Amino acid sequence: MRKKAILFLLFLLTLFQSMESFAKQRFPKPEFESAYTQPETLQPGPRYELLAYLDVLVLLSTLSLISWLILKKRSRKGVFWISIFSLAYFGFYREGCVCSIGAIQNVSLGLFYSAYTLPFTALAFFVIPLVFTLFYGRTFCAGVCPFGAMQDLVAIQPQKMGSRLNSVLGLLPYLYLGLAVLYAATGTDFIICRYDPFVGIFRLNASFGMFVFAGILLGSGVFIARPYCRFLCPYGVILNWFSRFSKKHMTITPANCIQCKLCENTCPYDAINIPITVKNPETKQELLKKFILICILIPVLIAAGGYTGSKLHTTLAEVNPRVRLAKAVMDPVKMQEKPESYEIKAFKSSGKPAKQLLEETNEILRKFYIGGWLLGGFMGLTFGLLIAGRLITNYNPDYVPNKGTCLSCNRCIEYCPVKV
Amino acid sequence: MKHKILIIAGLALFFSVVTYIAHDLFSNSSVKYSKSNPYEYDIQHLNKFDSVSVSYNENLAFRPQMLEMHGVATDYSDRIYVAGNKFLEIFTKTGNLLKRIALDGNALCITIDPDKNILLGMEDRIEILDMDGKLKEKWEPVSQSSIITSISSDGKNVFVADAGLTSVYQYDISGKLIGHIGDKDPHRGIPGFVVPSPYFDLGISGINEFWVANPGRHLMEKFDFEGNLIKSWGITSMEIEGFCGCCNPSHFTILKDGSFVTSEKGIERVKIYTSEGKLKCVVALPQSFKEGTRGLDLCVDSKDRIIVLDPVKKMVRVFAPNIDSKNNN
Repeated sequence: MRKKAILFLLFLLTLFQSMESFAKQRFPKPEFESAYTQPETLQPGPRYELLAYLDVLVLLSTLSLISWLILKKRSRKGVFWISIFSLAYFGFYREGCVCSIGAIQNVSLGLFYSAYTLPFTALAFFVIPLVFTLFYGRTFCAGVCPFGAMQDLVAIQPQKMGSRLNSVLGLLPYLYLGLAVLYAATGTDFIICRYDPFVGIFRLNASFGMFVFAGILLGSGVFIARPYCRFLCPYGVILNWFSRFSKKHMTITPANCIQCKLCENTCPYDAINIPITVKNPETKQELLKKFILICILIPVLIAAGGYTGSKLHTTLAEVNPRVRLAKAVMDPVKMQEKPESYEIKAFKSSGKPAKQLLEETNEILRKFYIGGWLLGGFMGLTFGLLIAGRLITNYNPDYVPNKGTCLSCNRCIEYCPVKV
Repeated sequence: MKHKILIIAGLALFFSVVTYIAHDLFSNSSVKYSKSNPYEYDIQHLNKFDSVSVSYNENLAFRPQMLEMHGVATDYSDRIYVAGNKFLEIFTKTGNLLKRIALDGNALCITIDPDKNILLGMEDRIEILDMDGKLKEKWEPVSQSSIITSISSDGKNVFVADAGLTSVYQYDISGKLIGHIGDKDPHRGIPGFVVPSPYFDLGISGINEFWVANPGRHLMEKFDFEGNLIKSWGITSMEIEGFCGCCNPSHFTILKDGSFVTSEKGIERVKIYTSEGKLKCVVALPQSFKEGTRGLDLCVDSKDRIIVLDPVKKMVRVFAPNIDSKNNN
């Protein structure tokens, strides 16, 4: 506890360093009227290729090491120190970019927009953790993701939230994932990056607003362990799916569970499945009823979700700057009410006819209409599967980690009295 | 109970984050539209100064009859000389035109020497005229790249500021080049001039002190006639007491008591500094000029009226101390 408090204090100190210092504007832009030639504007180049490969190598190495520490050495300390390293390297040194969470958007854009060249590192950061998860569970979340590492440091008094609350809040990441893919695929925005709470801290240039944003999220993380990972992270959704099929997921006990219950309350993420034994098994008729209900419910929810999504497509599309511009340009009442914005001025000065803007907007709206159907359908499916999950009882005699939600942090292992 | 409170607290914080994201993403789009260009280099807020600090009033303004004007000077009887493209115009101290002299080219700067000669820095040469406007001498420039921006004389020496080659030339009165002043020389402790744009002024005070504006360094530098740097003053600041931008002060002149009158561009303002370089008072604030005004050449007359050439409004503007501030002083 004392150790955690010290770490928390150290963490707070690093946050203070990230406070923005307001530089004094010194020079108005000079005008050069002599024979001076303005230098060409240089675009900062991408990260040196070799160093980009180094990032991938570090990712592979840390994932390999942490998977070995989790599964073979069953070491919590090892996980902790890897997470500190990841926080330092992927967080503060690499300034939170490239990250696997944001790579979802690169991959989505690459899939839906042929002119976009998907960077190798973005693809690697997207795929490699998924491959490891498919074999070893969410070892990436355990200590390689700097976001998780940062939140882990502040989880001082994590509270158990109960499975219902967990399930309901667990829908949020699906929505966030759906929106992130929709906006990336339509070329609207990279919303995961836009609302990345920690990147400003990693780059030590957080604005006051972002600092407060991250502070509040970390503040909630004191009582609700890893709130971003559990209830917002869109990459966590995909990892959750892959982890369910993982071949060698970590186990609480190295041998047979002795039902001592010591591990029952150790997981700060509520990711331990309590044993449910077959005392009064359901009849075949009951099971058939549930199966029929699920078979009807899921398509209905998908259709209802899709329909709702399609109806909301204009609202969803308003995030797109082109649509926003068209809306402002085509609305003469608002145009008169408010002073002309810079964007409208820029559009007018471009000489582009409003009709062309309207055509472009209609094309974007068409994409959002399809996207709205897909997003709504996806949410309907997610909700249906959530209900199905609660209808179906999984019988298991032992305390086992929930393969989907377990972050493989190895905290529970320390409490298991069974040693090999 | 404590457990529930902690969960509620945690959830409240978490939902405030989610609410912020949702609100920011879907809030009324028109609100998000910026009223101004977010990439614009806006220095408007720096143009606002307290007008109480202004100790001068503009009490005369007149318009020379030329399209392009660059230099202004006064003579021993307070006549005002305005030099520009193809013309030199001479006015009485009340702004009445006395004489219009045609020039062969564009005059960029002007001074009247103690021997009653009109010295003109033309685009590619220096011309010396008598008081009737007759051409007495013509000196060739040092280089084709020269941009002569200022000229001054004590009767024995003629100093010429060349913004093109970033140097000050010292001539004798016959036009013989004696040497350069102020060129970078670490052994003599001379940092050298930094002149990013063609605003590079020099002047000689009533007690023969030779001063050069080093605009890129925001300094006023005093040299002796041997080219030794004697002293300098000036601070870089957006505030009223300093100079800012790429190259300020753009122009200056020296009052009888050794005080300096400076003009700036970027943030257009005219100020007076003591001979030690401390801000004394303000003559004119940015609101007195059109935005983007550059080339506010200055001179003073025997009554310490400050004469400002405003090439954008195409006027000669005369400022005199207002009575209140005079009484206070």
